[in-house]
Amino acid sequence: MSDTEIEWVQGAGEDDELEVLHLALRDLRREIRQRTGGEESPPGISRASEPAAVAEEFDWLAAFEELRRRAGNFGMVERSAEVDEFGMDAHTLQRSRMLLDFLMDRYFRVDVFGLDEVDPQVPNLLVANHSGLLPYDGLMLSHAVERWHPERRRPRFLVADWLITLPFAQPTLARLGGVRACRENADRLLRRGHSVIAFPEGAKGAAKVFAERYALKRFGRGGVIRAAVENRVPLVPVGIVGAEESHPILFKAYTPARMVGLPFLPVTPTFPFLGPLGLLPLPTKWIVNVGEPIPLDDLEVGALDDELLLSRLTEELRGCIQDLVDDALERRESVW
Amino acid sequence: MASNSRAGSGVAAGSVIASGYNAAVTRPRCVAITGLNTFVGQRLAERLLAAPDAPRVIGVDLRRPLRLEGRISFRRVDLTHPTADSELASVLADERVDALVHLAFRSSPTADREYDHELETIGSLHAMHACSAAKVARLVLASSTMLYGPRATNPNFLDEEQPLRGHEHGHCIQNRVEAEQLLAEWSPRHPDVEVCVLRHCWVMGPRYVDHVTRYLERPVVPVVLGYDPLLQFVHEDDLLRVFEKATLEHAVGVFNVVGRGVLPLSTLLALAGKRALPLPGPLLYRLADYPAQGQTGDRPSAFFDYLRYLWVADGERGWHAFGEPTYSTKEAWISFVSSRRLRRFR
Repeated sequence: MSDTEIEWVQGAGEDDELEVLHLALRDLRREIRQRTGGEESPPGISRASEPAAVAEEFDWLAAFEELRRRAGNFGMVERSAEVDEFGMDAHTLQRSRMLLDFLMDRYFRVDVFGLDEVDPQVPNLLVANHSGLLPYDGLMLSHAVERWHPERRRPRFLVADWLITLPFAQPTLARLGGVRACRENADRLLRRGHSVIAFPEGAKGAAKVFAERYALKRFGRGGVIRAAVENRVPLVPVGIVGAEESHPILFKAYTPARMVGLPFLPVTPTFPFLGPLGLLPLPTKWIVNVGEPIPLDDLEVGALDDELLLSRLTEELRGCIQDLVDDALERRESVW
Repeated sequence: MASNSRAGSGVAAGSVIASGYNAAVTRPRCVAITGLNTFVGQRLAERLLAAPDAPRVIGVDLRRPLRLEGRISFRRVDLTHPTADSELASVLADERVDALVHLAFRSSPTADREYDHELETIGSLHAMHACSAAKVARLVLASSTMLYGPRATNPNFLDEEQPLRGHEHGHCIQNRVEAEQLLAEWSPRHPDVEVCVLRHCWVMGPRYVDHVTRYLERPVVPVVLGYDPLLQFVHEDDLLRVFEKATLEHAVGVFNVVGRGVLPLSTLLALAGKRALPLPGPLLYRLADYPAQGQTGDRPSAFFDYLRYLWVADGERGWHAFGEPTYSTKEAWISFVSSRRLRRFR
């Protein structure tokens, strides 16, 4: 604020502002006096016997206030007063750490292979197969990378449009480090030095029916390769096994879904029949198989104008991840 | 209405406005402000006059301000008048104006949709035409990041090259999108006029008032259940500083004027000690429909979609050109909240 601006404010009503401050101060004093119970008794007399009597009573007013506060926060976990520019909330993550640890160690019993090949000092673009309807795979992979990372840096996972536009999904996922999948967001994250988890299969991958499990779908339009080359980051292929069976989609129902505006309604052994309880994933055994990073440093940015090269590279990447998935499937002894 | 037919098309105004650096322009010796009665207009005039080598300031508006600085010469021009362009041009030519700051926009939408359109879209067109006719070297246009439009599919940060998709139900937003489209068409035909478009986000501060601040002032704020968008604000002091710099210096092109940092709506309300009242979208829109129709003629989604979806702008280019903002989003919000808290004792 420049000097003139201050002058202007003062000129407008210096006395006014002062008076308001005085009034505020007076009200504050009165409130303090009331809270400490000083209004009834003059200052000299001790009130030693009073607090004991008060403590016996249940403080209805405070309880009501607390209840009202909680009702105001309904549906929202406790939050901090700062989020990062993509909405990730360190406080929420800290609070949900126990749940994530539980999911990882006890529920899904995730085995992670090959993460040590990855360079923790540079941003990486992790590319994984997508499966299992809800983004548990993204959550688990980012949690696994965070626990392995010497500085506990958490990679962000990209979330497909159909999920992040649903009510409640956006605030929750954003707090946990989910970001809408688009090139602008991926580029910005990589430029800021964050690792990014991408699922190039997109919605097609998450919506695979059980009969098609672990067969990777087409990989977008080469956006992953472009992002990696243009931002000069290594590509890390990842195969995730187990997420597919946590939400086995028997078939997709289209007619009831159209009525509520969803692309399709997945029918799993539990989902529509057990109600919201059916959204709990089945406790399958997971394997996260991280492949060797693919350096793309020798590729010029202009080289990707060759569409055939781009699609060949994309297909190679898909084959690489398919191999990792097949390898993990062989390693796994049982679905559970 | 024309606004609806153009709703989907959108322009990337950032790339179209291609006025080059105009070396003949030095520091403007005379600045005209259309829309002197606006918040920015009044304070910008005072700020410009306070500098040691102050330019002359011509204020143009429909009504004479109640409190007019002695050195501002006031000229009355009605921008909705069919011949407003030649009237304004003669004012600009008489006073030998070097820079025009066009601020004649609604701060909040009103029920008179037709007048709003005449004032915002056609008024801007008149201002552009007057600029080229009177050989004004520099035009600064106030715009808003609301023009990008709230969309669930927006990227997290909208830069200046993003299309202006507006909001199909907000008539004032569509008016301003059209004004920017007209500017993007007009600007290449008049390369001798430097154009600077300042798109600012929601303004917070002790003195700024519009429909947004009035809404967020309430102790209980109705919000859309299940949505918690990231919001960003700019403080009124930062906004005025940017307008002052843009008027006096050689910034050319489109700039987002925003504060640093983003905060979710729920966190903002919690910080302010306000209570969020989450209502399901359809219910909230139904409840807000009648008052909204009465006040602005717009559907309630024209406002509530901005509390539902993401429309955060990337301020990097503006910070680079006009300097670091003094207030972050959070500080601007706290400044707004604390000033309103004091005001309650009055």
